[in-house]
Amino acid sequence: MTSRRHLMIIAALMVTAVTAGASPAEAEKRLRTAVDEVLGVADDAPNGDALSSRVRPVLERHVSFETMTRRAVGFGWRQFNNEQQRQAVRLFTTVVIRSYTDKFTPGERPAITWQPAVSPASGRVDVPTRMVYAGSNYHVTYRMEDVGGWRIADVTIEGVSLVANYRSQLDATFKKGGAAAVLQSLEQSISRRP
Amino acid sequence: MKLPQLELLVGAFVLAGLAAVSWLTVKLGARNFVGGDTYAIEARFDNAGGLNAGANVVVAGVPVGRVEAIRVDASDFSAIATLRVLAGLNLPTDSMASIKTSGLIGDKFVALSPGADETFLEPGARITLTESSVDLESLIGKMAFGSLDKEPAP
Repeated sequence: MTSRRHLMIIAALMVTAVTAGASPAEAEKRLRTAVDEVLGVADDAPNGDALSSRVRPVLERHVSFETMTRRAVGFGWRQFNNEQQRQAVRLFTTVVIRSYTDKFTPGERPAITWQPAVSPASGRVDVPTRMVYAGSNYHVTYRMEDVGGWRIADVTIEGVSLVANYRSQLDATFKKGGAAAVLQSLEQSISRRP
Repeated sequence: MKLPQLELLVGAFVLAGLAAVSWLTVKLGARNFVGGDTYAIEARFDNAGGLNAGANVVVAGVPVGRVEAIRVDASDFSAIATLRVLAGLNLPTDSMASIKTSGLIGDKFVALSPGADETFLEPGARITLTESSVDLESLIGKMAFGSLDKEPAP
Protein backbone atom coordinates (compact mmCIF):
# COMPACT_ATOMS: atom_id res chain seq x y z
CA MET A 1 0.00 0.00 0.00
CA THR A 2 2.72 2.42 1.06
CA SER A 3 4.97 1.53 -1.85
CA ARG A 4 2.07 2.03 -4.24
CA ARG A 5 1.42 5.46 -2.78
CA HIS A 6 5.11 6.30 -3.10
CA LEU A 7 5.05 5.19 -6.71
CA MET A 8 2.06 7.42 -7.39
CA ILE A 9 3.74 10.43 -5.77
CA ILE A 10 6.90 9.83 -7.78
CA ALA A 11 4.87 9.50 -10.97
CA ALA A 12 2.97 12.71 -10.17
CA LEU A 13 6.23 14.55 -9.49
CA MET A 14 7.70 13.29 -12.74
CA VAL A 15 4.68 14.45 -14.72
CA THR A 16 4.88 17.91 -13.09
CA ALA A 17 8.60 18.11 -13.77
CA VAL A 18 8.14 17.11 -17.40
CA THR A 19 5.31 19.61 -18.06
CA ALA A 20 7.05 22.40 -16.16
CA GLY A 21 10.25 21.78 -18.07
CA ALA A 22 8.66 21.28 -21.46
CA SER A 23 6.34 24.29 -21.56
CA PRO A 24 8.78 27.20 -22.00
CA ALA A 25 10.93 25.11 -24.31
CA GLU A 26 7.90 24.11 -26.36
CA ALA A 27 6.71 27.71 -26.58
CA GLU A 28 10.15 28.85 -27.64
CA LYS A 29 10.38 26.12 -30.26
CA ARG A 30 7.02 27.18 -31.66
CA LEU A 31 8.15 30.81 -31.75
CA ARG A 32 11.37 29.96 -33.54
CA THR A 33 9.42 27.98 -36.13
CA ALA A 34 7.11 30.96 -36.60
CA VAL A 35 9.99 33.39 -36.98
CA ASP A 36 11.78 31.08 -39.44
CA GLU A 37 8.62 30.67 -41.52
CA VAL A 38 8.00 34.42 -41.60
CA LEU A 39 11.62 35.09 -42.58
CA GLY A 40 11.35 32.45 -45.29
CA VAL A 41 8.36 34.27 -46.77
CA ALA A 42 9.96 37.70 -46.28
CA ASP A 43 13.11 36.72 -48.14
CA ASP A 44 11.24 36.35 -51.45
CA ALA A 45 8.98 39.36 -50.99
CA PRO A 46 9.84 42.29 -53.27
CA ASN A 47 8.02 44.90 -51.16
CA GLY A 48 5.86 45.47 -48.07
CA ASP A 49 2.53 44.97 -49.86
CA ALA A 50 3.49 41.61 -51.32
CA LEU A 51 4.83 40.55 -47.94
CA SER A 52 1.62 41.61 -46.26
CA SER A 53 -0.53 39.21 -48.32
CA ARG A 54 2.00 36.36 -48.28
CA VAL A 55 2.73 36.54 -44.57
CA ARG A 56 -0.89 36.60 -43.44
CA PRO A 57 -1.61 32.85 -43.60
CA VAL A 58 1.69 32.12 -41.84
CA LEU A 59 0.97 34.59 -39.06
CA GLU A 60 -2.59 33.39 -38.66
CA ARG A 61 -1.18 29.98 -37.81
CA HIS A 62 1.20 31.25 -35.14
CA VAL A 63 -0.41 34.38 -33.75
CA SER A 64 -3.65 34.33 -31.80
CA PHE A 65 -5.21 37.38 -33.42
CA GLU A 66 -8.49 36.60 -31.67
CA THR A 67 -6.82 36.97 -28.24
CA MET A 68 -4.94 40.04 -29.41
CA THR A 69 -8.08 41.77 -30.69
CA ARG A 70 -10.10 40.91 -27.59
CA ARG A 71 -7.36 42.31 -25.37
CA ALA A 72 -6.74 45.34 -27.56
CA VAL A 73 -10.40 46.31 -27.40
CA GLY A 74 -10.41 45.59 -23.67
CA PHE A 75 -13.45 46.02 -21.49
CA GLY A 76 -15.78 46.98 -24.34
CA TRP A 77 -15.30 43.60 -26.10
CA ARG A 78 -18.18 42.03 -24.18
CA GLN A 79 -20.59 44.49 -25.74
CA PHE A 80 -19.62 43.51 -29.28
CA ASN A 81 -22.03 41.05 -30.88
CA ASN A 82 -20.67 37.95 -32.63
CA GLU A 83 -20.63 39.55 -36.07
CA GLN A 84 -18.88 42.66 -34.74
CA GLN A 85 -16.30 40.51 -32.96
CA ARG A 86 -15.54 38.58 -36.17
CA GLN A 87 -15.26 41.82 -38.11
CA ALA A 88 -13.01 43.38 -35.44
CA VAL A 89 -10.63 40.39 -35.51
CA ARG A 90 -10.42 40.56 -39.32
CA LEU A 91 -9.76 44.31 -39.36
CA PHE A 92 -7.35 44.28 -36.42
CA THR A 93 -5.34 41.47 -38.04
CA THR A 94 -4.95 43.62 -41.16
CA VAL A 95 -3.97 46.67 -39.09
CA VAL A 96 -1.29 44.76 -37.17
CA ILE A 97 0.16 43.04 -40.24
CA ARG A 98 0.15 46.29 -42.23
CA SER A 99 1.79 48.32 -39.47
CA TYR A 100 4.64 45.82 -39.31
CA THR A 101 5.11 45.12 -42.99
CA ASP A 102 5.22 48.90 -43.57
CA LYS A 103 8.55 48.86 -41.76
CA PHE A 104 9.84 46.04 -43.96
CA THR A 105 12.97 46.83 -45.94
CA PRO A 106 13.53 44.43 -48.87
CA GLY A 107 16.77 42.54 -48.60
CA GLU A 108 17.23 43.17 -44.88
CA ARG A 109 17.27 40.21 -42.54
CA PRO A 110 17.02 40.63 -38.77
CA ALA A 111 19.78 39.19 -36.60
CA ILE A 112 18.06 37.73 -33.55
CA THR A 113 19.76 36.89 -30.27
CA TRP A 114 17.50 34.65 -28.21
CA GLN A 115 17.48 35.09 -24.47
CA PRO A 116 16.25 32.57 -21.88
CA ALA A 117 12.46 32.23 -21.82
CA VAL A 118 10.59 32.84 -18.57
CA SER A 119 7.17 31.61 -17.54
CA PRO A 120 5.45 34.34 -15.48
CA ALA A 121 2.24 32.31 -15.05
CA SER A 122 0.96 28.91 -16.04
CA GLY A 123 0.11 28.83 -19.74
CA ARG A 124 2.24 31.94 -20.36
CA VAL A 125 5.81 32.16 -21.59
CA ASP A 126 7.76 35.33 -22.35
CA VAL A 127 10.64 35.02 -24.80
CA PRO A 128 12.93 38.06 -24.73
CA THR A 129 15.13 38.70 -27.75
CA ARG A 130 17.52 41.33 -29.01
CA MET A 131 17.09 42.14 -32.62
CA VAL A 132 19.20 44.08 -35.06
CA TYR A 133 17.15 45.08 -38.09
CA ALA A 134 18.10 47.54 -40.83
CA GLY A 135 20.93 48.80 -38.66
CA SER A 136 18.91 49.45 -35.50
CA ASN A 137 18.93 47.51 -32.26
CA TYR A 138 15.64 46.55 -30.58
CA HIS A 139 14.59 44.70 -27.44
CA VAL A 140 11.66 42.57 -28.50
CA THR A 141 9.77 40.26 -26.13
CA TYR A 142 7.27 37.75 -27.47
CA ARG A 143 4.44 36.84 -25.12
CA MET A 144 3.32 33.32 -25.87
CA GLU A 145 0.10 31.83 -24.57
CA ASP A 146 -1.26 28.33 -24.47
CA VAL A 147 -4.61 28.69 -26.20
CA GLY A 148 -4.97 25.09 -27.35
CA GLY A 149 -1.35 25.19 -28.54
CA TRP A 150 1.27 27.89 -28.10
CA ARG A 151 0.51 31.12 -29.94
CA ILE A 152 1.97 34.62 -29.88
CA ALA A 153 -0.49 36.78 -27.92
CA ASP A 154 1.46 40.02 -27.62
CA VAL A 155 4.76 41.58 -28.61
CA THR A 156 6.60 44.24 -26.63
CA ILE A 157 9.18 46.42 -28.36
CA GLU A 158 11.47 48.40 -26.05
CA GLY A 159 9.02 47.61 -23.23
CA VAL A 160 5.99 49.00 -25.04
CA SER A 161 3.30 46.41 -25.58
CA LEU A 162 1.44 46.17 -28.88
CA VAL A 163 -1.80 45.20 -27.16
CA ALA A 164 -1.54 47.95 -24.50
CA ASN A 165 -0.80 50.53 -27.19
CA TYR A 166 -3.91 49.63 -29.17
CA ARG A 167 -5.98 49.18 -26.01
CA SER A 168 -5.42 52.76 -24.91
CA GLN A 169 -6.56 53.99 -28.34
CA LEU A 170 -9.46 51.61 -28.91
CA ASP A 171 -10.77 51.92 -25.36
CA ALA A 172 -11.04 55.69 -25.80
CA THR A 173 -12.82 55.17 -29.14
CA PHE A 174 -15.19 52.66 -27.57
CA LYS A 175 -16.10 55.05 -24.77
CA LYS A 176 -16.95 57.69 -27.36
CA GLY A 177 -18.97 55.68 -29.83
CA GLY A 178 -19.23 52.00 -28.86
CA ALA A 179 -18.47 49.00 -31.05
CA ALA A 180 -19.43 50.78 -34.29
CA ALA A 181 -16.87 53.52 -33.63
CA VAL A 182 -14.13 50.95 -32.94
CA LEU A 183 -14.84 49.13 -36.22
CA GLN A 184 -14.98 52.41 -38.08
CA SER A 185 -11.65 53.60 -36.69
CA LEU A 186 -10.03 50.27 -37.65
CA GLU A 187 -11.47 50.55 -41.15
CA GLN A 188 -10.25 54.12 -41.45
CA SER A 189 -6.79 53.13 -40.33
CA ILE A 190 -6.68 50.47 -43.08
CA SER A 191 -8.03 52.73 -45.83
CA ARG A 192 -5.64 55.58 -44.96
CA ARG A 193 -2.68 53.45 -45.90
CA PRO A 194 -1.92 53.01 -49.58
CA MET B 1 26.04 63.57 39.90
CA LYS B 2 22.36 64.35 39.34
CA LEU B 3 22.88 66.67 36.34
CA PRO B 4 24.35 64.16 33.83
CA GLN B 5 21.47 61.82 34.58
CA LEU B 6 18.93 64.51 33.76
CA GLU B 7 20.80 65.37 30.54
CA LEU B 8 20.83 61.74 29.58
CA LEU B 9 17.10 61.56 30.18
CA VAL B 10 16.46 64.64 28.03
CA GLY B 11 18.73 63.20 25.33
CA ALA B 12 16.82 59.94 25.33
CA PHE B 13 13.52 61.82 25.16
CA VAL B 14 14.67 63.83 22.15
CA LEU B 15 15.87 60.67 20.41
CA ALA B 16 12.54 58.98 21.08
CA GLY B 17 10.77 62.04 19.67
CA LEU B 18 12.91 61.97 16.50
CA ALA B 19 12.29 58.25 16.08
CA ALA B 20 8.54 58.82 16.39
CA VAL B 21 8.62 61.60 13.79
CA SER B 22 10.64 59.54 11.29
CA TRP B 23 8.33 56.54 11.82
CA LEU B 24 5.33 58.79 11.19
CA THR B 25 6.92 60.20 8.03
CA VAL B 26 7.52 56.74 6.62
CA LYS B 27 4.03 55.57 7.58
CA LEU B 28 2.34 58.66 6.17
CA GLY B 29 4.35 58.41 2.97
CA ALA B 30 3.03 54.94 2.26
CA ARG B 31 -0.35 55.55 3.83
CA ASN B 32 -3.39 54.16 2.21
CA PHE B 33 -5.39 57.25 1.33
CA VAL B 34 -8.11 55.25 -0.35
CA GLY B 35 -10.97 54.75 2.06
CA GLY B 36 -13.07 51.62 2.43
CA ASP B 37 -12.28 47.94 1.92
CA THR B 38 -9.32 47.06 -0.22
CA TYR B 39 -7.64 43.93 -1.57
CA ALA B 40 -4.11 43.22 -2.72
CA ILE B 41 -3.05 42.02 -6.16
CA GLU B 42 0.42 41.65 -7.59
CA ALA B 43 1.92 42.84 -10.85
CA ARG B 44 5.09 41.45 -12.40
CA PHE B 45 7.35 43.90 -14.21
CA ASP B 46 10.67 43.33 -15.96
CA ASN B 47 11.78 46.69 -14.62
CA ALA B 48 10.05 48.78 -11.96
CA GLY B 49 12.63 51.59 -12.12
CA GLY B 50 11.41 54.75 -10.40
CA LEU B 51 8.24 53.22 -8.94
CA ASN B 52 8.03 53.51 -5.15
CA ALA B 53 5.80 52.10 -2.44
CA GLY B 54 2.97 54.58 -1.91
CA ALA B 55 2.67 55.44 -5.63
CA ASN B 56 -0.83 55.81 -7.05
CA VAL B 57 -2.69 53.05 -8.85
CA VAL B 58 -5.16 54.49 -11.35
CA VAL B 59 -7.93 53.24 -13.62
CA ALA B 60 -9.02 55.69 -16.33
CA GLY B 61 -7.00 58.37 -14.54
CA VAL B 62 -8.87 57.93 -11.26
CA PRO B 63 -6.82 56.85 -8.20
CA VAL B 64 -8.17 53.50 -7.00
CA GLY B 65 -5.30 52.33 -4.83
CA ARG B 66 -1.66 52.42 -3.88
CA VAL B 67 1.51 50.45 -4.47
CA GLU B 68 1.99 48.69 -1.15
CA ALA B 69 5.39 47.10 -1.69
CA ILE B 70 7.91 46.24 -4.38
CA ARG B 71 10.24 43.28 -4.22
CA VAL B 72 12.49 41.24 -6.46
CA ASP B 73 11.40 37.74 -7.41
CA ALA B 74 14.55 35.71 -6.79
CA SER B 75 13.62 33.07 -9.39
CA ASP B 76 13.86 35.32 -12.46
CA PHE B 77 14.92 38.72 -11.07
CA SER B 78 11.69 40.39 -12.08
CA ALA B 79 10.05 43.11 -9.98
CA ILE B 80 6.85 42.17 -8.16
CA ALA B 81 4.72 45.12 -7.06
CA THR B 82 1.93 44.57 -4.55
CA LEU B 83 -1.01 46.82 -5.38
CA ARG B 84 -3.78 47.53 -2.90
CA VAL B 85 -6.97 48.49 -4.72
CA LEU B 86 -10.59 49.20 -3.79
CA ALA B 87 -12.64 46.10 -3.06
CA GLY B 88 -15.54 47.12 -5.30
CA LEU B 89 -13.29 47.10 -8.34
CA ASN B 90 -13.67 43.86 -10.27
CA LEU B 91 -10.70 43.73 -12.60
CA PRO B 92 -10.88 41.17 -15.45
CA THR B 93 -8.02 38.64 -15.40
CA ASP B 94 -6.49 39.99 -18.60
CA SER B 95 -6.21 43.52 -17.24
CA MET B 96 -2.89 45.17 -17.98
CA ALA B 97 -0.69 47.18 -15.64
CA SER B 98 1.67 49.83 -17.01
CA ILE B 99 4.16 51.99 -15.16
CA LYS B 100 3.56 55.53 -16.35
CA THR B 101 5.07 58.89 -15.54
CA SER B 102 2.99 61.94 -14.69
CA GLY B 103 4.34 64.53 -17.07
CA LEU B 104 7.76 64.13 -18.63
CA ILE B 105 9.83 63.79 -15.46
CA GLY B 106 7.12 63.43 -12.81
CA ASP B 107 6.39 60.64 -10.35
CA LYS B 108 5.77 57.13 -11.54
CA PHE B 109 2.40 55.49 -11.04
CA VAL B 110 0.70 52.27 -12.08
CA ALA B 111 -2.11 52.53 -14.64
CA LEU B 112 -4.46 49.56 -14.84
CA SER B 113 -6.48 49.02 -17.99
CA PRO B 114 -9.32 46.52 -17.59
CA GLY B 115 -9.39 43.65 -20.07
CA ALA B 116 -12.15 41.64 -21.71
CA ASP B 117 -12.13 38.39 -19.68
CA GLU B 118 -15.25 37.36 -17.82
CA THR B 119 -13.28 36.09 -14.83
CA PHE B 120 -11.91 38.55 -12.31
CA LEU B 121 -8.61 38.91 -10.48
CA GLU B 122 -8.90 37.36 -7.02
CA PRO B 123 -7.07 38.85 -4.02
CA GLY B 124 -3.42 37.81 -4.31
CA ALA B 125 -3.66 37.14 -8.07
CA ARG B 126 -0.83 38.33 -10.26
CA ILE B 127 -1.03 40.52 -13.37
CA THR B 128 1.61 39.36 -15.84
CA LEU B 129 0.50 41.42 -18.84
CA THR B 130 2.46 44.50 -17.90
CA GLU B 131 4.48 47.32 -19.38
CA SER B 132 7.61 48.25 -17.45
CA SER B 133 9.03 51.70 -16.98
CA VAL B 134 10.07 53.00 -20.36
CA ASP B 135 13.63 54.19 -20.04
CA LEU B 136 13.07 57.61 -21.56
CA GLU B 137 16.66 58.70 -21.12
CA SER B 138 18.07 55.80 -23.12
CA LEU B 139 15.40 56.24 -25.81
CA ILE B 140 16.23 59.95 -26.11
CA GLY B 141 19.90 59.01 -26.13
CA LYS B 142 19.36 56.54 -28.96
CA MET B 143 17.43 59.15 -30.90
CA ALA B 144 19.83 62.00 -30.26
CA PHE B 145 23.12 60.18 -30.73
CA GLY B 146 21.92 57.28 -32.84
CA SER B 147 22.26 53.61 -32.05
CA LEU B 148 25.77 52.20 -32.00
CA ASP B 149 24.77 49.43 -34.37
CA LYS B 150 23.39 51.81 -36.94
CA GLU B 151 25.29 51.76 -40.16
CA PRO B 152 25.96 55.03 -41.94
CA ALA B 153 23.34 55.92 -44.54
CA PRO B 154 24.44 55.08 -48.08
